[in-house]
Amino acid sequence: MFHVKFADIGEGIHEGVLLKIFFNEGDEVKEGDSLFSLETDKVNAEIPSPVSGKLVKNKFTVGTKVNVGDVIVIVDDGVPGMRSNMQEGEVLTEEESQEPVTPKAVSQGDESDAHVEPVVEKGSTSVVGQIEISSDVIPSSGEANESAPEVDHNVRVLATPVARKMAKDLGVDIKKVKGTGPQGRVMKADIEAAAENVSSAPAKAAPSAGQSSAPRAYEKSSVAQQERTERVPMTMLRKTIAANMSLSKFTIPHTAVMDEIDVTDLVAFRNVSKEALESEGVKLTYLAFFIKAVVTGLKKYKGLNASLDESAEEIVYKHFYNIGIAVDTPDGLMVPVIKDADQKSIVELAKIIEDYSERARNKTLKLEELTGGSFTITNYGSVGASFGVPVIKHPEAGILGVGAIVKKPVVIDDAVVIRSILPVSLSFDHRIIDGADAGRFVGVLKKQLSNPNLLLLNA
Amino acid sequence: MKAYDIIIVGGGPGGYVAAIKASQLGSTVALVEADRIGGVCLNYGCIPTKTLLRSAKLYQDFLDAESFGIDIDPASGVKVNWKNLMKRKDAVVGKIVGGVELLVKHNKIDVYNGFGKAIDAHTVEIGEERITGKNLILATGSSVMLPDIPGIHEAYTKGQVIDSTGAINLPEQPKTITILGGGVIAVEFATLFNSLGTKVTIIQRSDAILKMVDEDVRNVMQKHLKETGVTIITNAALEKVEGSTVTYKVDGASHTLSADYILASLGRKPNLKGFESLGLEVGKQGVVVDQHMETSVKGVYAIGDMCGKMMLAHVASAEGIIAAEAIHGSKNVIDYHKVPSCIYSFPEVGAIGYTESEAREAGFDVGTSTFPLSANGKAVAEGETTGFVKIIHDKKYGEVIGVHIVASHATDMIAEAAVTMELEGTIYDIAKTVHPHPTLSEIVMEAAHGAVDKPIHIIKR
Repeated sequence: MFHVKFADIGEGIHEGVLLKIFFNEGDEVKEGDSLFSLETDKVNAEIPSPVSGKLVKNKFTVGTKVNVGDVIVIVDDGVPGMRSNMQEGEVLTEEESQEPVTPKAVSQGDESDAHVEPVVEKGSTSVVGQIEISSDVIPSSGEANESAPEVDHNVRVLATPVARKMAKDLGVDIKKVKGTGPQGRVMKADIEAAAENVSSAPAKAAPSAGQSSAPRAYEKSSVAQQERTERVPMTMLRKTIAANMSLSKFTIPHTAVMDEIDVTDLVAFRNVSKEALESEGVKLTYLAFFIKAVVTGLKKYKGLNASLDESAEEIVYKHFYNIGIAVDTPDGLMVPVIKDADQKSIVELAKIIEDYSERARNKTLKLEELTGGSFTITNYGSVGASFGVPVIKHPEAGILGVGAIVKKPVVIDDAVVIRSILPVSLSFDHRIIDGADAGRFVGVLKKQLSNPNLLLLNA
Repeated sequence: MKAYDIIIVGGGPGGYVAAIKASQLGSTVALVEADRIGGVCLNYGCIPTKTLLRSAKLYQDFLDAESFGIDIDPASGVKVNWKNLMKRKDAVVGKIVGGVELLVKHNKIDVYNGFGKAIDAHTVEIGEERITGKNLILATGSSVMLPDIPGIHEAYTKGQVIDSTGAINLPEQPKTITILGGGVIAVEFATLFNSLGTKVTIIQRSDAILKMVDEDVRNVMQKHLKETGVTIITNAALEKVEGSTVTYKVDGASHTLSADYILASLGRKPNLKGFESLGLEVGKQGVVVDQHMETSVKGVYAIGDMCGKMMLAHVASAEGIIAAEAIHGSKNVIDYHKVPSCIYSFPEVGAIGYTESEAREAGFDVGTSTFPLSANGKAVAEGETTGFVKIIHDKKYGEVIGVHIVASHATDMIAEAAVTMELEGTIYDIAKTVHPHPTLSEIVMEAAHGAVDKPIHIIKR
């Protein structure tokens, strides 16, 4: 029997709604066939069957809210014993060894594995950095429960009514409490014990935090209660962003190179092409050109299209160019990834950018569209800013920030002329490449973007 | 000398259950019993008294038949046939004991008939024979305790003063009986004999009978017994017994009371004979054990009445399982605040957990809610409206910490409260639980509604 669970797919996603069930009970399913699809607050994920066999049970109906860890489908694959796609043993060792979250699986594995693995268990995820994968149910964020403070009934924790109330009262996460009652039922004594541990924890936690790796090498700070302030619980996405940013900043020695690029010709070229393409329904953005220029640069300076495998002490160079584009959404930052950008034309890229931006905002991106990046571009120019120091999307090696194109007086041949200037900032992992190469990479961008003909020839 | 994993001395509801559990867990087990398997419970206590109480109830129903629309002509033709009453009782006991014997046999337990004497912590002697065991479970129960009142021992020897065992084996129905003591056994026998038409007088040392039950239960039961014809004399100091006549003093004045028999139910004491050589630590209540029922002697366990924690058959059985599991490495415990107890009177009493006063003493933020049987449809239909349910809860989380039921089937109803409390349930859970209609069990739900806010089927101001 194979229990296909809603595994942790990263992204801070802890719950979803069952959107579609593809097979009926009793149907034969083949490995790789989609079993069900989930709508989460970030993506829609189609989960393929990890095994071939007979579908024994669909545990939920379409429209039901499900949580990470729930068994969604049971497939009889003829193998005795109960297995699932969340191997707890593995996770346990990872947790016990307290290893830092290393970039052990570099992103390329994700899509190809996706045919075998129902969900991506390891490897990179899209919101800048990598998320620790565990079979633990991620505690639900406060805001979802605010109106209904009842314990989420979909996560089945065997506990007595008094234990539940007491847990809520004492702020104990009942899902993390080991029950000592019959069949592991959480009794009130277990909650009392857990609450005691929590209150005595800060003293204990400090030394162990010191031992653990970089992401948690500091004590959690607290802010004293103040007047004229308000406290809002972090959303799950916010927490994920926070964790990933810390991870990136604590592990990657960021260095930045900044420059201004004269894009007057590109502006002219784009304005002409834009009108022509508009009639075909394509919105030609500068970003499509930037991607093209970046790919050209990456081909030359491959250290920026790489990841550092810290445990193996190896640099992993990637022979694919999957470019993430940071998209601002009302809920927070999302980074869809354009796969094999080197093999796409500028028009194709423009189409994809429009599609991804649209779907990021209405949360209909698929999981595979959010994973597997090798380099990222963030466009803070869209809000009018000029320079920034972007944070690298761990475990990538670089991120290019592009500012707003403005007309500026510049000196050409000893004369002051008005040109369209694009400010750029490149953050890079100084462990992998040095400042000179990074500067040369910016030089390539400069050359490409100031001369659209060259850019198109290289495309 | 035959060797076993476990020797259990005493085949009552503690011993035989421990034996079956131990055997199920894979041990070889010897069970030593001087009398019949089943102990006091099956042979002289629970089962025979309930059998007789059934007849008593039937008799009462016949006497009351007219009010239910059934005429018996002539009404005086309804008679108790004492001999047949005893015959039925013996048949029921025989059937159940036979069933237990079969269970024991099928669990491959060797039964030794005889008085077991412990030579040391691993050896038991039965007559000429000796057997050894790695562990010993003592389960020899208790016997009636006769206080030092002049003349009581002589009268007991002569059969004028009887204990509960004697009371279920009387050759004929007594016309009058005096019951010394006001505990559960006293009340059950008072109910039994009174219902069968015997004149019953209870003489109680303290100011009320049923001192250990919740005050509301006590008051209702005491009133009901008096109304049905039982004389209850309280604050009485027993002075002497002569034959079946007892002399007692109330407010300084001496009284004498003669009856066919005097039933002594003034408490029970643990049976420790045969275990002198073990050097067990014995406290005020009985053999001292830890929470897994192990005595001060390693490998020797004691369960049931001889420990005196709660002298109830189901406690002995539960303790027997705890002991068997402890020997097999699984350390479980009993929460004695979650053990139900029953009184088989008319109406019955089922109680579990804290009484209201105990709960207040223990420091809970106590909430109580009662609901009367008189507002219950089924109770009215059956003409059995005496009684109520009282739920005691801790206001902090609404956890149910005590339930007390007086009702014709209270002993069957208390199990719901036991499950609720074992699962640390609250008044909200009981109130939310849909109870079937029409049943007496609805009163439990109604009382829970009352604890939360207001019951449905009563006007509460």
